[in-house]
Amino acid sequence: MSDAPHLRPLGRPRPVDVRTDENGEPRYVRLPGKTARKVEAVRDAWRIDDEWWRAPISREYRAVVLDDGRPLTLYHDLLDGRWYAQKGE
Amino acid sequence: MSQPRSTPHGLPTHLDIGWAAPPGATTQRDAGHGWNTLWDPAAGQGGVASATGSRQALCLWLPTFELRLELVRSPALDTTSVALLAPGESTRRTLWQVSERAHDAGVRPGQLISQAVSLCPSLTLLEPDPAHYDAAVDAMLEVLGELTPVVEPAGRGRVFLGMDGLGRLYGSPHRQAERALRSLFRVFPAPLVASTRAGMASGKFGAWVAAASGRPGEPVVVPDPDLSAFLGACPVSALPVDLVVIQRLERLGVATLGELRHLPEPSLVAQFGDTGRQALAWATGRRMDPVRPWHRPRPIRVSLDFPVPVGLTETLHGALDRLVERALSRPARRGRSVTAVRMGAHLEGSGSWFVETVLREPTAERDRIAAPLRAKMAIAPPPRAVETLILEFTRFGAPSAQTLLFDRKEEAGRVLSGQDLARGEVPISLKDAVKELKLRLGHSPLYRVVEVDPWSRIPERRHALLNFDP
Repeated sequence: MSDAPHLRPLGRPRPVDVRTDENGEPRYVRLPGKTARKVEAVRDAWRIDDEWWRAPISREYRAVVLDDGRPLTLYHDLLDGRWYAQKGE
Repeated sequence: MSQPRSTPHGLPTHLDIGWAAPPGATTQRDAGHGWNTLWDPAAGQGGVASATGSRQALCLWLPTFELRLELVRSPALDTTSVALLAPGESTRRTLWQVSERAHDAGVRPGQLISQAVSLCPSLTLLEPDPAHYDAAVDAMLEVLGELTPVVEPAGRGRVFLGMDGLGRLYGSPHRQAERALRSLFRVFPAPLVASTRAGMASGKFGAWVAAASGRPGEPVVVPDPDLSAFLGACPVSALPVDLVVIQRLERLGVATLGELRHLPEPSLVAQFGDTGRQALAWATGRRMDPVRPWHRPRPIRVSLDFPVPVGLTETLHGALDRLVERALSRPARRGRSVTAVRMGAHLEGSGSWFVETVLREPTAERDRIAAPLRAKMAIAPPPRAVETLILEFTRFGAPSAQTLLFDRKEEAGRVLSGQDLARGEVPISLKDAVKELKLRLGHSPLYRVVEVDPWSRIPERRHALLNFDP
């Protein structure tokens, strides 16, 4: 194994399956290897558009509460169209 | 077959065996090696004499053990009303144990002194002398240890003996019980031995109930075929469960273990949770807790005699620090951390005083050991000036200092506020630990969280893990 310092980013996004309603809001979320959970409430929403000068980032975040009470931060990647879960808001 | 008798000395109520003792007092239910620890579910596997313990149990029980020891020490008190004060309280002292005469006058354990004296003006109050009681217990265990290798104390006045395989040596179960009682004559005077009850059955619960239901000095032996019927006639108060559970059972009209057996298990579990299931297992005799040999590591004991009795807290604190240092430096302590300590004193005049504490985590540092003892001393100070201060390390843990490696407050860790791992100031102990891990694994498995762009709007850009290899 190399002794060179190696950085591993924390809080990397994980792809999740999300079913949305007619307005594009998340209604059901299925985390990898878990059963689908209903989204009980959306606590917050914000959008990030950044780094347009190199690899553009465009995300719509939702801080949601699942039906088991667990809080979760999701975002919809507007470039690839997929949903991701992420730690840290 | 033996049947539980409903005599005045029949099965104990909670008051009889001191369960009503006030907070701070060592009671049968909360003593460190007492009631609850004896009936843990893991002990529920029966089996003939095996490494897990002895199925055939003999229970010796001396109710109000401490008070009886005081009466033996001062026989003149035997004709008066006597009560032993609860240890460990500086204000609003309450009674711990009361003599029969005092009981007849309406005095009860747990009462305030003022209440008790108003009920019985001639009441003699005694300060507890835990050192004396513990010495008596040690002497008793030593004598009983010569009878059988499986001796398990359960509080001060109660002990279980494992009797598996001793029939050929001592004869019938009844003879075995009588022999155990007779052996007590070597350490206790006759009145004390005469007050001791003995019961023998399969499992500790059966033996305990048999002992509690018998007359003093007359062993009750319950053969296996009779155990179920014997237990059925016992009141539910014999169950080693929370008092609230017993009170609820009694309010529901369930008075005996036989009546308890008729209730369906799901209903009991629904009402009382797992305690309900356990209660049913005891009531039916399904659960047989074997007697387990008791292992007590030899404590490290140091003491300091004062030329004149000391009452000043600061002086006692200073003496405590010296004692902790002395105990830590004993060769017997090396390679072990300390997990439980006991501090005591011989008091001016007579009597003794003790406090004990279990440390939050194993340690071998003076201040971490002394601080909780000081706190205990502030809550329950010695009632009189101290002639001799005693410190005992009673339980020990692993020697590991791993927990200290990352402790900011300790010299072993990243110490000395101001030093910082990010600046390369790595304590030697941590460097050594990493070196050892690299030797074992070929690489350092430790990482450090570093800030990359803490104010970034993109979460994954804020922090990262970096290999830690000093």
